[in-house]
Amino acid sequence: MTKDVMMPQESMHTVQSYEQELEQLRSLINKMGGMVERQVAQAITAVVEHDEVAALDAPEMDPQVDELERQTEALVIRLLALRAPMAGDLREVVAALKMSGDLERIGDCAASIARRAMRNELLSCPISLTGLHSMGRLVQENLRRTIDAMDQRDPELARIVWQSDTAVDELYVSLFRELVTYMMEDPRNIGPCTHLLFIAKNLERIGDHATNISERVYYSVTGNILPIIRPRGGTFD
Amino acid sequence: MNTLTMDNRPAQARLAPAIAIRNLDFWYGENHALRGISLDFPTRQVTGMIGPSGCGKSTLLRILNRMYDLYPGQRAMGEVLFDGRNILSPGIDVNVLRSRIGMVFQKPTPFPMSIYDNIAFGVRLHERLSRTEMDQRVENVLRRVALWGEVKDRLNASAAALSGGQQQRLCIARTIATRPEIILLDEPTSALDPISTARIEELLDELKQEFSIAIVTHNLQQAARCADRVAFFYMGELVEVDTADKMFTAPHEKRTQDYITGRFG
Repeated sequence: MTKDVMMPQESMHTVQSYEQELEQLRSLINKMGGMVERQVAQAITAVVEHDEVAALDAPEMDPQVDELERQTEALVIRLLALRAPMAGDLREVVAALKMSGDLERIGDCAASIARRAMRNELLSCPISLTGLHSMGRLVQENLRRTIDAMDQRDPELARIVWQSDTAVDELYVSLFRELVTYMMEDPRNIGPCTHLLFIAKNLERIGDHATNISERVYYSVTGNILPIIRPRGGTFD
Repeated sequence: MNTLTMDNRPAQARLAPAIAIRNLDFWYGENHALRGISLDFPTRQVTGMIGPSGCGKSTLLRILNRMYDLYPGQRAMGEVLFDGRNILSPGIDVNVLRSRIGMVFQKPTPFPMSIYDNIAFGVRLHERLSRTEMDQRVENVLRRVALWGEVKDRLNASAAALSGGQQQRLCIARTIATRPEIILLDEPTSALDPISTARIEELLDELKQEFSIAIVTHNLQQAARCADRVAFFYMGELVEVDTADKMFTAPHEKRTQDYITGRFG
C-alpha cells in the first residue's frame, strides 16, 4: 500500500452557508453512527444475556435511524444541486450518502437480531452461546473503530478496520460449522440453531457494512480507492 | 490508483501533441504574467484551462495564435511547438498561423456584415473558391454548428440580428470554415444562457473528433464536462495538469483543491 498524501482541509469555504451545510452533514452521519452503534450493542446484549429491555430497544430505534438516513439523503441532494461540490467536498458528500445507507442497513441487522433474541426456542436452548458472544464482541469492536475512523476522518484507522473484518468472517465460518453439527446430532436443535445461524449471518453482515464504511472513509479523505478484492477470512470448502 | 478515470483512448494519447509548450515566460511590460510554463495540448482532445482571474490562462491562449503581437511591450520567451516549429519565432507567418489556430472569444464578435459573409470573409483570405464551392462551405459549417436550420432562409441578413447564442455558434462556424487544426476558446459561453451553453458544449464534443481544442473557462462544471485534460493556473504558474476526472475528484495539489472547492480567500 502506497503512503497516501493527505489533503489538509483546514481552509474554509468562501461561502459560509456551504461550510455550514457540510458541517450539518457530518453531524447527521455522526449521530447516525452513534445510534446504530447503540442498536448493535443492545442487540448483542439481548441475545447473549437474554435481556428483554435490550431486545425491545434495538428495533424501536429503527425509525429514528431511518429518519436520519432520509435527512442525510435530502441534504446530499441539496448539496449536489446547489453547491456542485468538487474534489474533497464531492468525495465527502458522496461518501456520506453511501455511508448513511450502510449505517441504516446495520441498524436493520441489529433490529433483526434483537427480534430473534427472545424466541422461546433460544431461551430454552441448551447450545452454548460462547461462539456467538465472541463474534458479537468482535463485530461491535470493529464497528466502534469504523465509526471512530468516520468521525475523525482517519484513513489509516479505516484501513486497519477494513483489514480486520477477516477475523469476523473466520468466526462466522466456524460458528456455521458448529451449528450444522448440532443440527445433525439432534433434529430438535434445528429450530434454535436456525435462529442462531440467522443471528450469526446478521452479525457477519454488520461486519461487511462496517467494511464498506471504512472504504468510503478512506476514499473520502485520501481520494484513493482500497483494492476491490477485500481481505476475506474463512471458507466453506 | 484512480479508478474513476475512464480514459479509454490510449491510441489518441499516443499521438504527438498538437501544441507543446516548453519553458514559456511572458511579460506585459514589467509584469511577468507567465512563468516557466510547460504544457502539452493533446491532439483531438479538449484541454481545459482554469484558474482565478489574472492567473495567466487567457494570456496563454493569446500567445498560441500570436495575438500579443498586436500590442507593444508584450513579449514571450520559450518555445511553443506547433507542427515542428516554434510559433514564437519571428519567421512565422502570423496570418497563416491564425488560419491554422482559430480563436473564439468570450463575447460573440460577428463582423458587421451578412451571416453568409461572416463565414466567407475568412475563407476568401486563404482560398479561392467558386461561388458554388463557397456556398457549400458556408452550408457545411453552418450545419456543423447546428445553425443551418435557423438561418438558411436569411443568409444575407445582418449577423447582428442573431441572438447571442446564435452569434457565438456563427463565430465557431467562421473559425472552423478556414479548416484550422486547433480551436482556442476564451470563455465561449460566459455570456450565454444555459440552453445556448449546452448547444456549444454539445458542439465541442463533436468538434473534437476533428480538431484539437483549448478552452478557458470559469465554469468548473463546464471544464469537468467538456475537457479531457484540465490545467490549473495560479499567479502565472501552471500548478497542476491532469485528466478532468482526476482534477475534479482528487487533485494532487492543495492550491487546486482550494480553488475548485471554493476555498480561496
